[in-house]
Amino acid sequence: MTTPAADNDTTTAASLAVDLAGLKLANPMMTASGTCGYAYEYAGLADLARLGAFVTKSITSQPRQGNEPQRIVETRAGMLNAIGLANIGLDAFMAEKLPDLRRLRDSGPRIIVNVAGHSLDEYVTTAGRIASEDIVDAIELNVSCPNVGDGLTFGTDPQLLKDLVRQVRGAMRKDCKLIVKLSPNVGDVTQTAGAAVEGGADVLSMINTYTAMAIDINKKRPRLANGTGGLSGPAIRPLAVYLVSMVYRHVAKPAGVPIVGMGGIQYWQDAVEFLLAGATGLAVGTALFVDPATPITVMDGLRGYLVKQGCSSITDVIGQLQIGGDTPRTPYP
Amino acid sequence: MIDAGTQDSESNATPGTHHRARFDAVVRFNRQVCREHYILRLALPGGFPATRPGQFVQLGCRPPDGAIDLDRLLCREHKWESGRGVVIEQQELCGSSAFLRRPFSLAGRGDDASGTWIDVIHRVVGVGTGWLAGLKEDDKVDLIGPLGNWFSLPRGKSIGLLVGGGVGLPPMFYLAQTLAQARWAAVGFVGATTADLLAVTFVEGVVPDQDGAVAQSVVQFAQLGYGAVVTTDDGSLGLRGRITDGLVRYLQSQSPEDAQQTVVFTCGPEAMMHAVADLAGRCGVACQVCLEQAMACGMGTCQSCVVRIGHDQDDSHGVAEDGRAWRYRLACSDGPIFEAQQVVW
Repeated sequence: MTTPAADNDTTTAASLAVDLAGLKLANPMMTASGTCGYAYEYAGLADLARLGAFVTKSITSQPRQGNEPQRIVETRAGMLNAIGLANIGLDAFMAEKLPDLRRLRDSGPRIIVNVAGHSLDEYVTTAGRIASEDIVDAIELNVSCPNVGDGLTFGTDPQLLKDLVRQVRGAMRKDCKLIVKLSPNVGDVTQTAGAAVEGGADVLSMINTYTAMAIDINKKRPRLANGTGGLSGPAIRPLAVYLVSMVYRHVAKPAGVPIVGMGGIQYWQDAVEFLLAGATGLAVGTALFVDPATPITVMDGLRGYLVKQGCSSITDVIGQLQIGGDTPRTPYP
Repeated sequence: MIDAGTQDSESNATPGTHHRARFDAVVRFNRQVCREHYILRLALPGGFPATRPGQFVQLGCRPPDGAIDLDRLLCREHKWESGRGVVIEQQELCGSSAFLRRPFSLAGRGDDASGTWIDVIHRVVGVGTGWLAGLKEDDKVDLIGPLGNWFSLPRGKSIGLLVGGGVGLPPMFYLAQTLAQARWAAVGFVGATTADLLAVTFVEGVVPDQDGAVAQSVVQFAQLGYGAVVTTDDGSLGLRGRITDGLVRYLQSQSPEDAQQTVVFTCGPEAMMHAVADLAGRCGVACQVCLEQAMACGMGTCQSCVVRIGHDQDDSHGVAEDGRAWRYRLACSDGPIFEAQQVVW
């Protein structure tokens, strides 16, 4: 395994190693849930062994067939999806997918399983059982999938979210980290972020997709069969960077809770914005559909940036956004 | 029968998911074949994995990342050209460009002295295909493939009826090449709403028959010795009517022995394929369809391109009006080719 070591090589270049509340990653690059399947769907197109962590698609207690098609539509610089959490369900996941994840973990990346649910009990049972597997380094809680009615409630109500996080945390193996994935579809994301931290979240990931709609102007109907969907891709990157910076300053930094930033990362420059805003981990989602190797090319670009900046570690950049004072003037693009 | 492609007993160099990769293709030519349709030939200097008719590729329908210096551009160093002012080349600031890849069926493939090439036929319907239309010789195109399963040539069959409507024609051209190598008999059924939307080349001096008789009128079939039946909805060329109007005449004229030997292969708009599949079913003729559904990745990850396929086990996803149980399958990785009788339309 020469490559993962090279990704954390401190002798020739800046270190990319990051620490997510005690979960050590060789580098910050991760897949965003739902864009990289269960493990090896992109075999041959992406060297998953070089990732810092792999995040599975959302797992629910029962199999879910998902929404009727049409499930996706491209919008300018983005994509709207209403997949409906289609997944094979907890039992099949444990039986069929864990061996692949074990193999993947042996090759380098840490394993994070995303869990979704429709009731508190379902979250607790599903997360607890998955977290009992020693290869699962962290659970990421999907409390913000905008496609399934009840999911939105947990992610938007601070009190409900706090209770949910507390109960899930209590049901999990102690050294398995709990990541709470925040929804941007709230008035004040620092409220829900704070609730997740109070409930016992080890890490915050942000952001999930923005609830949105595209309309077929001839049929005068939504272009997705589901009506609404979640907007992702480069179109939402400035929105996501803003929310990360808000949560970092007002919640995460004071509480010492790391953030996994995501939302439209396609180039390394995008990733640097998230780091400066306060993200420790970086997840690539929609861009994987265009090029499954995106996290690797982003990582290589990050390395170059750090060297140019004279940094010995990527941690030198995290949260270094300067606000106030002289704003650098750049030509309006 | 199960999924086409996976049970192809005559395969030797069987394509599989482990062969797919990302390639930097080079445009050999990009010719307009009719209104809105172009045939794009892409050279693959490093070679290309084994492919079969029915498989597809995902084309990046915008300048490949390597074609512009993003590092320079995103750091806001602009190029000044005398008389033009600042030249903004940063893609996300240059107006809209296609973000996701677009899937295209292979319309042909060749491995000759100059290397490997593949053909795709595209119709300009938006920003991505608009970009494709502007491609010129030696331009670069970012491509992932080959993807999906393929049409199967079942043992015991030897007559192929290739029914392609509109943008469903391309895989039929590639299939015709393969059928010719396998020494099958074949007839092409070619349809469009109107004559100038037929993405085919016509044999000079041979006029498609107005009554739907088979003629050596379409170059893509005639060069392999195969005849064709041309239909247009408005009667501007060939038989006036739907593609099934030509197909039904042919099927009714077949001997029972020939019908036994026949497979209908079809690709086109869903309503057309549904009608073709029903017709083949009524005539007792085997039929394989090439399905399409909006997709992002093309590799089974995004779970977007679901189609309803008959499923008689207890983990079905629903029951159709006719009582058939179905389960969602992915057009990209379980398909795009399915046995027509399995499809729950």
